[in-house]
Amino acid sequence: MVAPAIRWVAPGDGASKLLANLPSRGLLSANVVSSNLGGMRVYICDHDTAPPEDQLIKTNQTNILIRSLMLKNQKSDSLKKDAKGSTANQVSRKRVADRALEGKAAGKKAMSSTQLGSNQERSQSSVPDKDLQSLTVEKLRALLKEKGLMQKGKKDELIARLRSANG
Amino acid sequence: MSVWNYVVTAHKPTNVTHSCVGNFTGPQELNLIIAKCTRIEIHLLMPQGLQPMLDLPIYGRIATLELFRPHGETQDLLFIATERYKFCVLQWDAEAAEVITRAMGDVSDRIGRPTDNGQIGIIDPDCRLIGLHLYDGLFKVIPFDNKGQLKEAFNIRLEELQVLDIKFLYGCPKPTIVVLYQDNKDARHVKTYEVSLKDKDFVEGPWSQNNLDNGADLLIPVPPPLCGVLIIGEETIVYCSASAFKAIPIRPSITRAYGRVDADGSRYLLGDHNGFLHLLVITHEKDKVTGLKIELLGETSIASTISYLDNGVVFVGSSSGDSQLIKLNLQPDAKGYYVEVLERYVNLGPIVDFCVVDLERQGQGQVVTCSGAYKDGSLRIVRNGIGINEQASVELQGIKGMWSLRSATEDPYDTFLVVSFISETRILAMNLEDELEETEIEGFCSQVESLFCHDAVYDQLVQVTSNSVRLVSSTSRELRHEWFAPAGYSVNVATANATQVLLATGGGHLVYLEIGDGLLTEVKHAQLEYDISCLDINPIGDRPNYSQLAAVGMWTDISVRIFSLPDLNLIKTEHLGGEIIPRSVLLCSFDGISYLLCALGDGHLLNYMLNTSTCELTNRKKVSLGTQPITLRTFSSKNATHVFAASDRPTVIYSSNKKLLYSNVNLKDVSHMCPFNSAAFPDSLAIAKEGELTIGTIDDIQKLHIRSIPLGEHARRICHQEQTQTFAICSLKYNQPSAEDHEMHFIRLLDDQTFEFISTYPLDQFEWGCSILSCSFSDDSNVYYCVGTAYVMPEENEPTKGRILVFVVEDGKLQLMAEKETKGAVYSLNAFNGKLLAAINQKIQLYKWMLRDDGSRELQSECGHHGHILALYVQTRGDFIVVGDLMKSISLLIYKHEEGAIEERARDYNSNWMTAENNFNLFTVRKNSEGATDEERGRLEVVGEYHLGEFVNRFRHGSLVMRLPDSDVGHIPTVIFGTVNGVIGVIASLPYEQYIFLEKLQSILRKVIKGVGGLSHEQWRSFYNEKKTVDAKNFLDGDLIESFLDLGRNRTEEISKAMGVPVEELMKRVEELTRLH
Repeated sequence: MVAPAIRWVAPGDGASKLLANLPSRGLLSANVVSSNLGGMRVYICDHDTAPPEDQLIKTNQTNILIRSLMLKNQKSDSLKKDAKGSTANQVSRKRVADRALEGKAAGKKAMSSTQLGSNQERSQSSVPDKDLQSLTVEKLRALLKEKGLMQKGKKDELIARLRSANG
Repeated sequence: MSVWNYVVTAHKPTNVTHSCVGNFTGPQELNLIIAKCTRIEIHLLMPQGLQPMLDLPIYGRIATLELFRPHGETQDLLFIATERYKFCVLQWDAEAAEVITRAMGDVSDRIGRPTDNGQIGIIDPDCRLIGLHLYDGLFKVIPFDNKGQLKEAFNIRLEELQVLDIKFLYGCPKPTIVVLYQDNKDARHVKTYEVSLKDKDFVEGPWSQNNLDNGADLLIPVPPPLCGVLIIGEETIVYCSASAFKAIPIRPSITRAYGRVDADGSRYLLGDHNGFLHLLVITHEKDKVTGLKIELLGETSIASTISYLDNGVVFVGSSSGDSQLIKLNLQPDAKGYYVEVLERYVNLGPIVDFCVVDLERQGQGQVVTCSGAYKDGSLRIVRNGIGINEQASVELQGIKGMWSLRSATEDPYDTFLVVSFISETRILAMNLEDELEETEIEGFCSQVESLFCHDAVYDQLVQVTSNSVRLVSSTSRELRHEWFAPAGYSVNVATANATQVLLATGGGHLVYLEIGDGLLTEVKHAQLEYDISCLDINPIGDRPNYSQLAAVGMWTDISVRIFSLPDLNLIKTEHLGGEIIPRSVLLCSFDGISYLLCALGDGHLLNYMLNTSTCELTNRKKVSLGTQPITLRTFSSKNATHVFAASDRPTVIYSSNKKLLYSNVNLKDVSHMCPFNSAAFPDSLAIAKEGELTIGTIDDIQKLHIRSIPLGEHARRICHQEQTQTFAICSLKYNQPSAEDHEMHFIRLLDDQTFEFISTYPLDQFEWGCSILSCSFSDDSNVYYCVGTAYVMPEENEPTKGRILVFVVEDGKLQLMAEKETKGAVYSLNAFNGKLLAAINQKIQLYKWMLRDDGSRELQSECGHHGHILALYVQTRGDFIVVGDLMKSISLLIYKHEEGAIEERARDYNSNWMTAENNFNLFTVRKNSEGATDEERGRLEVVGEYHLGEFVNRFRHGSLVMRLPDSDVGHIPTVIFGTVNGVIGVIASLPYEQYIFLEKLQSILRKVIKGVGGLSHEQWRSFYNEKKTVDAKNFLDGDLIESFLDLGRNRTEEISKAMGVPVEELMKRVEELTRLH
């Protein structure tokens, strides 16, 4: 960043030009602009102020990591199954949703391993996604150990963890 | 004090934290919306100025305020997020004139560390989502659907932990945020992210910029066509976009606020920490940015928010001084400034300290606050009631009545002042030298008491005496006609307007006369069954000089009757109830509503709404104004009609928003009042007090009056000394930041009437005044100012050295009498059993005032008590000492005379931060004397908890209002508090029965009065800190309870039914509470 030498202009020099054409819609145009910020009517709200039912906004409580895993699964699944047509796609969504429920229950455990997971994103030894499902839990654990990841959890979680590690 | 507390606001927050401009109340209406911590004000921009529309109380501290317009809407919606993680979207319903809730929700997360740099709430310029940064490392997104409805929110992990600012960029195909953050090496960078709503995640944005100004902490997104962002630092300003990077150096300053001038984003106003206003211009050729320019425009209050309104007029909101409306002029003034201050809006915040004094010795407290910060520091004298600015006064005993008269009907000013005594009438007039001197109106009878006088049409004057009515020419001053009372009857009471006279003689005779040119005609006569006590024919109808109604107060049956004129037909009889006769009736109209006021002999006032066509009287209300008979009279001030009720406690009755309000006048025992609008004393009142006639003007008609004494420096402590009629303050002055001693601390002595500095004692370099006290010691008749100081060294975490200075005021000068070095900051000083009790860092220390052999005095340490973290606040009563510790809540100590030692008696084992309740809560504790074990007795039990939502800096005993011994609220002890937002509040300690009654009322009101935006009152007032949230206990919200008085008739009846108490009784009880402040 090359800064020109500081030239501080005393007021009175050029601001007139810069202040030309201030926006105006004709408001506050009287010669004497009057105002009174006191003596205001205090609003007493005696009608119902509850928002419309669907506009009571809550936060999605799913853990951020779990959510991103789910979304990734969903994406990869849909990519895979796109070929098989839309019906299959719907089925896969359903499965993801089921999985999400499980994920929620085990949310805490999964979280502790998140950082590790993302750090290892670009580690090499990777098993193709679809093969993971066919492996036994023992083998999955071994793979996880190899990557220095947590080995606990259900099969789906293990697969998810491996998938996220594989990127 | 009891444990049942009633908390009410006497002065609303005035600290302006946010402001914005948009079309909120209608597609064609431009509004300025101002947030004052817990309130939102909506103003309408008109050609002739700002017109106030609404003041919305919000059940929460406003953290962010934004206007936005979803697709397909014709007017803007208002997004508000509160510090307790609630948000709402408000819409104005112009038809119902109501604020409706479009959406609301809770945006808190169970885990997460609240951000250090405040909450950020932003809305995508294309209205695709709302972004919130509330916890470190998390960015919350509330997406919009394509109909402008909000959808479920979700969090995104934000890698940057020390975020300084986040804004949405304009003109991006996907919603894009720009994040200004600091890394762990304290370097500052900006980064952009696209928000992918589908993936619910961030995608790396189009650009980033590393290693910015170390002081960069503000981002200004630039709208299309330029787009990009301005990064405001302390030494440079940078324009950054995907394609351009421009920088300019600026004079070192911290920019506090900005306001965009043009819709295309080419000009901005920047306000810095010294209150200087700059214009920042982005120069560009078409859509290509070619550079930046900055110019100093002038000085304002230190801005916390800037909103460009229209036509060169700008609103500058301030937290540390008065907010302002300024005009940008094209030509500089003599100082070279382009800024002209059009209007100042009083802001008391931050109230750092205050004291309660009674300068006029009327038994009414005034609060003198140390307000404002930095260069905007000031003292403010806050007084309840209306003051009279005396302009002339003469001694006159025994005034029975007063009227002002004009020398011609068309004359705009009054010339004569008729003063009536028991056996004569004297006439005063303005002479050519504008002095009041006695004169004569030949046609008037001056040897008898006048009952009434008035101007009449055709340049005439009317005088009513006990046996006749005289019509006199105001030009020749000669008698033109006279009407005599029938033989054997004398006139008792009379009234008149310009064309009519109504009088009553003994025996219940009512006589009605009309005034012609040189002629009095007796039009009608009526015989009533009882004697008449008072009359009125003040014209309230369409004709300004002629009344079609007469109000008549009666003896014996204690009633008020309404007659039609000219035929004197009885239309309505209203029995007043009770045994006190009406002493004064008045027909008047405020805000287009007609009222009948009726004052009783015992100081009560009844008011009714009067339907002028049917003469129906509705909405009866009874208030107690004083204890003596009241005389009512109308007067006008600033083109509005008001009523003056003269009695032992004079009151002005006025109307605001179609509601009658009563404001006491700061005078005692006024027997009569009449308006006297003379050329020399325009808009004045003549007031007859005990043996004195005063002419004076009246303050603006409002409840609280605030006088400002700008100091140009920051007053931090204040104390009053009655004996020397002085104030002493500890203040600090900021000089040029480059100068060696850029902070200087002083002890200043001020006169308590003129508020001028009369003496100054400079403190050492780095020495801060921390506490001040006026006290006397045992065996010494002098009164002293004691000042506790601390040496605040930049390298020390806590001061390790301080002083106690003892001054005496001699010939208006501060004389140092003694000085004692301490081992820390003297946070508090208290007079204690003729000794001085000081809180010095973690220790409580008691000092004796000793006489030395040479006759001089010194402070000698007697005993102390350790075991606090930092003893910040100390209060004493008798031998008991209460200590508020920085971290360890409250403990109770006792001084033992025999041993000369201080021991701890009890403490609150909760670890509350006591910098006046860091989480804006109030709590009360009680010593548990009945405890069975020593351990139980040693515990201060928490008996009351409440979320005030305000940061209290100081509590003081006292009251803002005059306490009348007879009124129900006269015996309720009160504490006044002052807060950072400029709130002055009152905590009243209620008797148990009243508390229970009001608690029930509060719970009913909660169901009737809803929180704006669907926010819950119960949740808002619940005690809340990092560890717990519990419902408020033993505290009542007076602001909610008193809003009962503003409710419509249907609602009050509904509540009255639920309470099982008549409306009138409820009104009276609540109205009485308003007398506490």
